[in-house]
Amino acid sequence: MNAPVLSVPARLVAAMDAATPLTVSGGATLGLLLAGVVLLGLERRGRWSPVSLAVLAALAFAIAWAPLARPGWALLAAGLVAAALARDRDDPLHAECALKLVWVIGPALALSWAGLSLLTLATGTPVAIEQWAVLQLGLDPRFLWSTALPLALLAGLVLLGGAPFHFWVADVLQGVRPWLAASAVVALQVSGAAWLSRRLEGIGGFPAGRELVSDLLGIAAFAAFAAGAATLLVQRRPERRVGTLASLNGALMLAALAAGRPPGPAALASWAGHLALALAGAATVARFLPTFAGPAPGAPLFRRHPWSGIAGLYALASLAGVPGTPGAMLWLASARSRAAAGRTGLLLVLAAAWLAALTAAMRQWRQAFGVSATATAALRPGPVPLQARLALWIAALGLVALGAARLWRA
Amino acid sequence: MRRLAAPDPSLSGGALCATGFVLIGWPSLFAAALGIELVAAGFWCWGRAAEDRAEQLPRWAWLRRPASALWLAAGLHAVVRDTGLGVLPALQTLPGAVARVEALAVLWGALELMAALPLARPFSDRPGPLSATGPWLPVMLPAAGFLVLWRHAAHWTMVPEVRTAALVLLLVTACLAALRAFGRRPWTASLRWLAVADCALGGTLVALHAVPDESALLLWLAACGGHALLLAGELGGAAPRRGPHPHRLWRVAAWTALASLSWPVLATLGFGPPGVANPVFALAAACAVALAAWVSVRRLVAAPERRSMVRREAAVPLIQIGALATMAAGPVALLIAWWSGFEPRWTDSLASLTPALAGGWAAGLGGSLGLAGLAPRLTATGGRARRVAQAAFHGVVRFERRLVALLARLALALIAPARDLHTGDAQEFLLFLAGVAVLALVLPLLR
Repeated sequence: MNAPVLSVPARLVAAMDAATPLTVSGGATLGLLLAGVVLLGLERRGRWSPVSLAVLAALAFAIAWAPLARPGWALLAAGLVAAALARDRDDPLHAECALKLVWVIGPALALSWAGLSLLTLATGTPVAIEQWAVLQLGLDPRFLWSTALPLALLAGLVLLGGAPFHFWVADVLQGVRPWLAASAVVALQVSGAAWLSRRLEGIGGFPAGRELVSDLLGIAAFAAFAAGAATLLVQRRPERRVGTLASLNGALMLAALAAGRPPGPAALASWAGHLALALAGAATVARFLPTFAGPAPGAPLFRRHPWSGIAGLYALASLAGVPGTPGAMLWLASARSRAAAGRTGLLLVLAAAWLAALTAAMRQWRQAFGVSATATAALRPGPVPLQARLALWIAALGLVALGAARLWRA
Repeated sequence: MRRLAAPDPSLSGGALCATGFVLIGWPSLFAAALGIELVAAGFWCWGRAAEDRAEQLPRWAWLRRPASALWLAAGLHAVVRDTGLGVLPALQTLPGAVARVEALAVLWGALELMAALPLARPFSDRPGPLSATGPWLPVMLPAAGFLVLWRHAAHWTMVPEVRTAALVLLLVTACLAALRAFGRRPWTASLRWLAVADCALGGTLVALHAVPDESALLLWLAACGGHALLLAGELGGAAPRRGPHPHRLWRVAAWTALASLSWPVLATLGFGPPGVANPVFALAAACAVALAAWVSVRRLVAAPERRSMVRREAAVPLIQIGALATMAAGPVALLIAWWSGFEPRWTDSLASLTPALAGGWAAGLGGSLGLAGLAPRLTATGGRARRVAQAAFHGVVRFERRLVALLARLALALIAPARDLHTGDAQEFLLFLAGVAVLALVLPLLR
């Protein structure tokens, strides 16, 4: 069938509609890339090279393009992250993170590949929309596709980092160097979201499959919220707290997908853009936060440069969905969609997870500022690198712009 | 470039608390949540700068819990706006479930501030985190709790189960607070507990919906505001107790305010329509009122003037204006209530006023009726009674703490396997993935 001939203005509007998601995710990714490049300046000579810049640029491209990407890109992103981590031979933590990622993402991709192959075998086509149409005919045994479909989604679940797969996010944020950590996590999570969105495209045409996916992803989202909330309340290291907050953001995407209707490129870009900027700031500020061990004077960053510290904490607050930040809009939109779908259990567990995230963010604010330094005999803290403060401001200003853009569009 | 000086913690804490109270009075759950959060931040500001910050910071850390409860209520209300204010949807429906959780969250936030939950009940025993005005600061918390209950009554009174639970908890709190006010020897500590009792009785009035909202607010303001003013005056050189006239005026004012508050509460609980009246609740409220009235009048003893030259003061001191306002507010509120339809029978009214009258009369027994000879015996009995009251309060608090600790241990035992699930070993990652893959395969087959 021939495509309808569009007039020039209509083509312009269509082009703008297609470009909007890329503008949002592209702009946010530019912020993440800038923060990464600035943080690269913190590395001592010999520990970075033009390849590091190329890795950052490639990851940024993968994030920006994710709303329109194909599922296969997840494999490339995971491979790139693992290779970038394994490349640094002098850092045992990088090697450990690389090993853990390969250990969990590799088999997950293999299992999903097996699921996809089974679906292709059953339907005779690798294209998702065509597969649903064939399965809707009812010619294939239910056992076959109901086995293949969950397997095909597994890689997306692991990459999104929702609990119980939240450990890799916290591990990467704790163990990987600051310039790479946020980009690696965002690239993998966004690839996971893109994987699931693309795989479920058009599943509305196959009601039985849609019901199965809705149930499975609903259970996964429930587990991700409940386990993430419980984990957040017992964690003491700031980097791991940020990791769990990122995994809760992954759970938000899972909850959206559990409706059985994958989010469009605009929603995906909005989620990815926010995650990129919030994680860029939160992962950076977490490096300067103390591991809580009773009341103590505030961290040097907050005593010497309180406004830069607040900029970093703003990013963390947005990741946690604190009211007044762009992240809160995402949480609210997700909760409203759960309410519209009539899923009471998922809505209440989402609310509990939000409350845990809010509590963690507030606790982090208090621990960051600590007890009054004037009341103690604490020494004047040393300076905090300019690069780190710059990265915090890039993330915070990016988030403010993102929030303003969302409000303006609303 | 010179750096800006850090703000004075006492000023910044005060500003945060003042802003918080303004927001709590705003008719929005988000504003209330933010208000309580700011009050908690104010206490944190004071605590982090205090000399004994190692004690103060953990002591007031619980203030974030009521704020969290209100954030939850506000969030749920923002998600499901039409939870049916006025008409309660069935529990099985999403709006019905959300309305109940929302009501519980509002109640949790308010009751915890009013020392009505077993988690932070004894907070009024200790002074706040500022050295000069510290003993007064805890009075703000039950007041904030009452304001939340009053301002957002529509959210929690429409759920019958939540309303009944609130009545039980508030009346238990009123009794315990009156008991504690009686048991504590320092007058400042007793005043803080009397403020808690006032707030609990005010909350009961809101739950019963016996009088219009404005009237309930004015009745509470008279009782709690009177005790808060007395405490402020006590910290400022015991001004309300200096001289025979101010002392007598304050006794009458505090008693009038409490009697005015107790009248509609006891009239509704004792003689209200079927389904609302409850003799057990009425008895509990009567005990609390009688004891609170006794403490309010009896413990307000005249302070001796030790200064050789009396300081020159204004013709009408500010603290005396407070006493007059306290005395007038209660009857004015009752007048508004009567105008709006609160017309109990005179026998019911007399019976409702009996606990306050009995408490006030018993407290003034020794001095005014020439029974001074009984004073030594009463003092000896009073000492024993105070010890009994202390033992009863501590017994209840200890029991509640053990119950909460038991529940916490149970919860920890339940989540312990989940915490042990992951030890960080890379081998586990693969095993875990395999487990989840099998689960993903089995779950659809089990459907």
